[in-house]
Amino acid sequence: MRFILRRLGFYLIAFWASITLNFLLPRFMPGDPVSRMFARSTGRMQPEQIEALRKLLGVDDRPIWEQYVDYLHSIVTGQMGVSISRFPTPVTEVIASQIGWTLLLGGTALVIAAVVGNLLGILAAWRRGGAIDSALPPVLVFIGSFPYFWLAMGALYLFGVVLGWFPLRHAFTDGLEPGFTWEFISDAAAHLVLPALTIVLVSIGGWMLGMRNTMIATNAEDYITMAEAKGLRPGRIMFRYAARNAMLPSVTSFGMGLGFVVGGALLTEVVFAYPGVGYQLLNAVQGLDYPLMQGLFLTITAAVLLANFLVDILYVRLDPRVRSN
Amino acid sequence: MTQSRFLRSARIAAAGLAMGVLVLTGCSATASKPAAGAENASAFLTIPREDMGTFIQNFNPFAPAVNPMVQQSIYESLLIFNPAKGDTVPWLATEWTSAADGKSVTFTLREGVKWSDGKPFVADDVAYTFELQKKIKGGFDYLEAVTAEGTNKVTFTFNKPWSPALYDVGQLTILPKHIWSALADPEKDANAKPVGTGPYTEVDNFQAQSFVLKKNPNYWQPEKQKIAGIKMLAFAGNDGANLAAANGDVDWAPQYIPNIEKTFISKDKEHRQYWFPATGSMINWQLNTTKAPFTDTAVRKALSMAVDRDQVTKIGMGGYAKPADCTGLSGNYETWKNPALKDNCTWTKRNVDEANKLLDQAGYPKGADGKRTLKDGKPFEFKISVGATSSDWLSVANVISQNLADVGVTAKVDSPDWAAVVAGYETGDFDSGIVWSANDPSPHKYFNTSMGTATVKPVGTKTFDNYHRFGDPKADALLAQFAAEADAGKQKDIAYKLQEEYNDVAPLVPLFSGPEWGAFNDTRFTGWPTEDNPYATLSVRAPTTVLVLTTLEPRK
Repeated sequence: MRFILRRLGFYLIAFWASITLNFLLPRFMPGDPVSRMFARSTGRMQPEQIEALRKLLGVDDRPIWEQYVDYLHSIVTGQMGVSISRFPTPVTEVIASQIGWTLLLGGTALVIAAVVGNLLGILAAWRRGGAIDSALPPVLVFIGSFPYFWLAMGALYLFGVVLGWFPLRHAFTDGLEPGFTWEFISDAAAHLVLPALTIVLVSIGGWMLGMRNTMIATNAEDYITMAEAKGLRPGRIMFRYAARNAMLPSVTSFGMGLGFVVGGALLTEVVFAYPGVGYQLLNAVQGLDYPLMQGLFLTITAAVLLANFLVDILYVRLDPRVRSN
Repeated sequence: MTQSRFLRSARIAAAGLAMGVLVLTGCSATASKPAAGAENASAFLTIPREDMGTFIQNFNPFAPAVNPMVQQSIYESLLIFNPAKGDTVPWLATEWTSAADGKSVTFTLREGVKWSDGKPFVADDVAYTFELQKKIKGGFDYLEAVTAEGTNKVTFTFNKPWSPALYDVGQLTILPKHIWSALADPEKDANAKPVGTGPYTEVDNFQAQSFVLKKNPNYWQPEKQKIAGIKMLAFAGNDGANLAAANGDVDWAPQYIPNIEKTFISKDKEHRQYWFPATGSMINWQLNTTKAPFTDTAVRKALSMAVDRDQVTKIGMGGYAKPADCTGLSGNYETWKNPALKDNCTWTKRNVDEANKLLDQAGYPKGADGKRTLKDGKPFEFKISVGATSSDWLSVANVISQNLADVGVTAKVDSPDWAAVVAGYETGDFDSGIVWSANDPSPHKYFNTSMGTATVKPVGTKTFDNYHRFGDPKADALLAQFAAEADAGKQKDIAYKLQEEYNDVAPLVPLFSGPEWGAFNDTRFTGWPTEDNPYATLSVRAPTTVLVLTTLEPRK
């Protein structure tokens, strides 16, 4: 219990530090949201409107500490304000209307990549020098080292345009009404395959190699030899004795990955026109949309810290050494 | 669509995962509707939007990032100026007259126009719209009062003679007073179910990735609502939108498509066309005239003469843009151009010898190494700032930099993020840059922002139009005359003189008329504007867009 409390205190400090950075970083960037908006409109906006717009959007010239106090207050009360680039839509609404798809895409890809990657790693280490061990890692590393944008475009072109197996864009067929119907769910699933698959392809190599390497170290331990000497079934030794102990780094990575899912797979969303928050974040940064940026960063920070906290708790169960510390 | 067995099993496997998102996105369980049929009559006109990754159900025309079609198909304006033909189409107003003193203009509104909720469109709506616009967004500083006379006449009074006002007030989209006056915070209302006078107003099936606008049941020209509706698709960049266009999934492709003959047209030559009229704003290379040596007119002209505009448009703009002439006016103002001047340009044509001579005379000697020096002996060197993401303008800057080397001038291309570039422009902390310019139906604004002293701010003070900070009192006198003149013929004479002054002082280095991108696929809908029938441009964000929406019809 004391361990968990201590961790909680640590997380509170980390949280404060990151929200303070969230506050400061965008304000160090040159310009302000309104002149940014003006420049981006390349002549479609009138200069006379700038003052009025500034007032309307609440872009203020107050001292920075005053803005900071307000900012902290808004975070504690959960009032994220109104998005500037999507004015007058509240930040919470902008995020809420899209984050579902981001979580679905990122979550699916993460789970598949982690489960399959780890299983492959376990098998590769168990049969060292076997077919899986010698063939797969170089191939996966090769694919993983492609620029993602290129890989995704290539997959879209091959499987979408040329072969026509998968839809080219969006999370479901335009015109379909979302609902718990078989038609809609299968349609959404078909739209998910290609974007999720490309993320899995580039990330799976990392999972596999990580697991394989820790497994190899674990396999050399005395208790594995002992288990073999006792005549236990190989499957039991592989999963209960070796993999269970080799899994700790993977659990950490999974926790980290879980947190970052919220940030969205920016490039995937751009290539497949998938309606998520990734592109929204890029847009917010480019447009100096402080409220939306802060809302998104806050969501990401909270998710990362929460995921880490869960991993910490899980570690207490998985690794007895943590408890004695 | 071909669907393999593999796909079907993948669907089943992934279906379970998709269940979760429904809870997260808060969708209600409703019966699904069949997709639009193949028949053209019931098909939606499909248009991509390339710079919005997702849509938000917000149809407030005061929003800085207005949803597509709000000002094109939902709300309409009193008149529409068509730059492709140079004519003006009466729209919600049937006629207008300017007062002899140039201090007011009176519009007669069209009879029988109704809002989409069935209420009549009246003069009060116009007056209220301007009141609201001034309050929320500002601008219209010259506008003293907007008075409704009866139900069908509106008079705009100005605090000075101001002829450019006609298109300014004439092209603002009009809102219904009975709806907007009832809102507590009109600027903060999402206006999720808009009421307008336009042809397609009824929002249907709104999703983050797409939405549909269906027919306005009370439109004033029902015979022109020939298509069933408009469907907008969201894309987070040109690539996705271009893929959709190449694949034949959209009817209208208003975004920039590189190598369009090969990537778009060649896939279906019979049905696909593009048309890039030079009606965009003039793209200028602007020199910071508060800094030496750009203070010197001879230097500005010599540098301009060194630029090879054919190479600039060919390499930088894929051959789609039209080189500028010494009137400074883009293709949008073709009818305003001074013919005597246009055909006798000197400093906007490449002439390396002449440029060298000009620089020698002006006192910028060429050294033994072939490089020129400034009057104080320092090297003749400066930066051209362009945002890193604009690859087309970056290559324009690179071409200019190479061209300048021929006259011994060193120009370095500096390409940080656009935000940093523009911050420099605004405060006057830059050498030179590639910049767009004002694009209005009347050329007044272009000349006012390129050489009017009223728009010049001292270095350090933010400015939003005259970045190069050039002011010319002679131009001021002409601009004032222009604004006070109500007679179109006399106005043109003054515009000619403005161009002569522009030609004399060279406030900017005009490069090329920006093309208005646009392509279409007429498999499902016919009646598109083309070079031979330029009743509108192919832009989907221009006031002329509504002309296209009310002309297209399903192919039979």
